[in-house]
This record gives sequence, C-alpha cells and structure tokens, in this order.
Amino acid sequence: MTTATGPGADDAPIQAEGLVRTFGSGELAVRAVDGVDLRVGAGEVFGFLGPNGAGKSTTVRMLTTLLRPTAGTARVAGYDVVSEADQVRRSIGVALQDAAIDPLMTGIELLRLQAVLYGVERSQQKRRAGELLERVGLSAAGDRRVGTYSGGMRRRLDLALSLIHEPSVLFLDEPTTGLDPMSRMTLWEEIQRLNDDGTTVLLTTQYLEEADQLADRIAIIDGGRIVREGDPAALKAEVGAPTLFIDVDATRTDEARAVLAAFGDPRPTAEGTLGVGLTAGAAEVSAVIRALDEAGIAVERLELSEPSLNDVFAEATGYRLEGAETGGAATDEP
Amino acid sequence: MTVERLDDTAMAAGTASTTAVPRGVGSGALVASALGLAVRNLRNIRRLPSAFLPALMMPLVQSIAFSGTFFAITQVPGFPTDRSINWFMPLAVVMGASFAGIGIGFSTVRDLESGFYDRLRMAPVSRRALLLGPLFGVWVRTLILMVIVIGTGLALGARLTGGLFGLAALIVVGLGVSVVGTGWGLGLAYRFGDMRASAFMQLGLFLALFLTSAQAPLSIMTGWLYYVARVNPFTPVIDLARIGFVEPGTVERPWVGLVALVLLAAVAMGFADRGLRRLSR
Repeated sequence: MTTATGPGADDAPIQAEGLVRTFGSGELAVRAVDGVDLRVGAGEVFGFLGPNGAGKSTTVRMLTTLLRPTAGTARVAGYDVVSEADQVRRSIGVALQDAAIDPLMTGIELLRLQAVLYGVERSQQKRRAGELLERVGLSAAGDRRVGTYSGGMRRRLDLALSLIHEPSVLFLDEPTTGLDPMSRMTLWEEIQRLNDDGTTVLLTTQYLEEADQLADRIAIIDGGRIVREGDPAALKAEVGAPTLFIDVDATRTDEARAVLAAFGDPRPTAEGTLGVGLTAGAAEVSAVIRALDEAGIAVERLELSEPSLNDVFAEATGYRLEGAETGGAATDEP
Repeated sequence: MTVERLDDTAMAAGTASTTAVPRGVGSGALVASALGLAVRNLRNIRRLPSAFLPALMMPLVQSIAFSGTFFAITQVPGFPTDRSINWFMPLAVVMGASFAGIGIGFSTVRDLESGFYDRLRMAPVSRRALLLGPLFGVWVRTLILMVIVIGTGLALGARLTGGLFGLAALIVVGLGVSVVGTGWGLGLAYRFGDMRASAFMQLGLFLALFLTSAQAPLSIMTGWLYYVARVNPFTPVIDLARIGFVEPGTVERPWVGLVALVLLAAVAMGFADRGLRRLSR
C-alpha cells in the first residue's frame, strides 16, 4: 500500500485509505488504482501528478462519488464517499477533464442550471451566475452558446460551474491540459485566489510546472500506486545533483554513456539524449566536456538542469513525463 | 444564497472560510431539479430541431399515408371503424410518443459520451430527478406531438366516436407510452454508454409496438402474428388508445390496457433506475 499523508491528518478534508479500483474481471481485470492512501489538509493545494493512465482520474472519480471503490475507504469533507455520497456532493466542486459542457447551452444557462441542481435560491441564481462569470472573465460571453467558446473559455466556465455553491473542497482534473500559456496562467491565478480564500484544492495534472507553481504538496502516482509524496522543494532537494543533458553523434552514444558514468548516475532522458546526475555539482561540466573531447566524441548540444520535479518524477518512476520542462517528450528508460 | 451549515464534523473537515452548502434535497428540490433538467431538454429541442422533427414527422406521415394506402381494410367485415384515419391516427400517436421517449435516450447517450452527464451525476440531487427531468421534457414533447397529429387527423376526417373520454384515453396512453419509451431509452443509454444503444432503442420498441393489433384487429388476424399479438402487452394499450375512435363497445376491457400500460411504464422506469445505479459501479 502506498501513502501520501499530510498535515492535520485527523481533520483532513480529503482522506483515503487503501483505495482500490479494478475494471473488468478474471484475467482481463485491470487494477487502475492499487491501494492509495491520501490525506489532504484543510486549505492545501495538493498536486496529483502522473502520466496518462496512471490512475489520477480514476482516483478523482472515486473521491467525487462518480465511481465506487472496489476496496478501501475515502472521506471527503468529513463524509464517506459511498454511504454519504449526497453530502459529499454538496460539499465539493469538481471540474473534470475535458470541460464537459453542453455546447447548445449558453454560459448563463449552464450556470443557472447548475444553481438549480445545487439548490441555490431562485432569487439568487441570476446574481450568482453573473458574479461567477465576472470572476472568470466571461461576462461578455455569458449569452453566447458554449459551442462558440475557445478551449480556455470552456475551462474557465467549467471552473465557474464548480464554484456555484461555494464548495469547501475543489477537485480540478487536469484543468489546463491543452490550453495555451496565457489561458493556463489565467486559470492558475484563479486557482491561487480560491486557495487564498481557504478552499482546499486537489489538482491532477501532467504538467510538472503547474504542480510546482501551485501545489503545497504533491503526490506522484504511477501504475495506480503513489510512488513519491511531499513538499515539492523537499522532493527536489532529495534528488540532489543537477542533471547534465548531452546530445552526441548517434553512433557514439554507447561510448559517451561510458564516459559519463564516471561523473555520476545516468538519468532518464528523451530518446537520443544522454543524461547524468553530476555527483560533484555543476562545477564538473567542464571536466565532462574535456573527457568527451579526449575520447574523440563531439558534443552537439549541452544543457545543465537544476533538480526539477521531472527529475523527482524520473527517479520515482524510471521515465520522464511527456511534455515536461526538460528532457523532451520521450519516455525512455535510462 | 440560503444555505445550511454542515454539521460539526464536516465543519472541522472543511476550511477556515465560509462553507456554503445548498439546501437539503426534499421534494421541492426534487421537483425544481427535475424541472430545470426538463427545461434544458426542451430548450435543446429548439436549438437542435433535427433531433425532434423526425419523431414528429414520422407519425404524421404514417397517419396520413397508412390511412390513405390501407383504406380498403375498413371494408373487412367486423372492422371496428369505417374510417381508416380513425384506425391509424391513434397508432401514430402511440408511435410518436414512443419515439419522443427514446429521443431522450439518444440525447442522454450524447451527454454520457461528452461527459456532461458526469456533471449531472455529481450534483446533490436525488437520482429520481435525473429520471424525472427528462421525463417531464418528454411529456411536453409528446403533448406537442399529440396536438399536431390529432389535429391533423381531425382535419383529415377522423371522427371522435368516444367523446371526451375517448380523447382523454388517447392522451393518457400517449403520455404513458412516452414513459415506457423514456425508461427504455434511458436504461439502454446507461447500460451501453454510447451510440450502440440507439439501434436497440429503436428496434426494441418498434417490434414491440408492431407485433400487436397495430395494423389490424385481433379478430381478423391469423397465424403466428395473432398469437404473438394476443400476448403482447402493448396490444391492449393500443386498443385503449383507439377507444375514442372506433365503434362504441368494440374495446371490451379497457382497464386491461390501463393496467398493462402502468405495468409497462413501471418496468421501463425500473430498468432505467437500475441502469443509472450501475453507472457508479
């Protein structure tokens, strides 16, 4: 069983113990979530990191009452997600992956429907919808059908919908996937504002930078199990040595790898790139270049990277996250 | 916003900020939520008429075409009316009501595929609201359809032989069959979760309605179709729908149709309810 425990575990708004979810049965059964323990403290932003298929969304679907756990228990806002599902639903806001919004409806209509479903008084529905549209910068587009919105506008509307009842706990499942940098920044600011107001946020993401920017604590999930958990700064410090990424002639890769081995452990990288954790720190870069030169290996590209969450991720899982900040898009083993 | 506070445990588990929680889910909230969902369905009909027009046009065309093409059927001895429009128009209403019901199955499949249905399932409303909301919308669609089909039928010469009671019976059957169609459509949508459900929705109800006295009364039917139609619970339902348009006394036991309709509606909505619960498993 894997564990992610945080501060104030006793009154943590999100708690899970031994959470398991299996799809299918018999030989075809897939254990998508494999014994996750989780505690997210009040007022925290908790980053839930992992590649596609790692079990992030399945975990969120269980915590938000959409899926029943196969085994284990979970409590959200003090309520059991199975036996007190209705109370959980009243206490949480959820923006799921892909911003599932009816394209035929306008932004205002969607917000008012959401207000009806969450029991907001009829006399308050219009005002609340207007406030939220203004908050996410969609006042001018409120009367337009959602089908005409850009991806960023849909995400912002999705966030507004999740806030209609002022939830104490907010689940954001990959809220910025596929967004342009400007839209991503806007959402980050809004999430930060919500957290400043005291909302507990569980954020799943594939973007390490996003987790680094927003999360007080993170958990890395891989193959349905939590493989690292903690404060981002502390996790990076645990990785220690900076990583040197080097591109060389593809025919000399094995020789170059042998040279680099003298300077530290190999690090996972994109295909065609070599990586080494410099045991003695950044000062060794010149020595590495000299050693490669003496071996007759020309360096085509060189990049020194301080420990990042991608290094934490790579060390924990053996590969790098696609689209992460350094090391490219491939997910090769070292 | 009028809110209820969480209990102490939940407050402790919440945040330092104000925790606003919507009011409890009572019958008022159930009806309000169901009406909210019904309004959404009706609004989307206006915005996506292609999803509604076939369900309206088919019974209309069927009513007109069948009564013209099969006019001679009224000459068969023992046929319960001398006007073919009187025979086929109530059937068209029943068919249209069933199409209106399964239409909501199609739109639910769309919501399931897009993920919008997850949003509805996460709302703190009774699961019954998720079934009643679409049903309310279907009833409005069915009433619109009935006004148009019955109005057209009367304009083309249909004669109301059973008075207001007969007309009420047709309306009750139309609304009841729309419940059956809704339950059937929703149940399949929940179980398949994608467009594979659509073929079963249409084929299932089409067969169930046609293997009855839909085309001809039991008294002049022969062969296997007679035996199937005789035990098909939709037969007395269709007979009840026609009670106001055939010769008085032709439908001997109208209460059988009413009981069959109630049972079919209950089974169909039970099928939908179980399907909705399966979504979380």
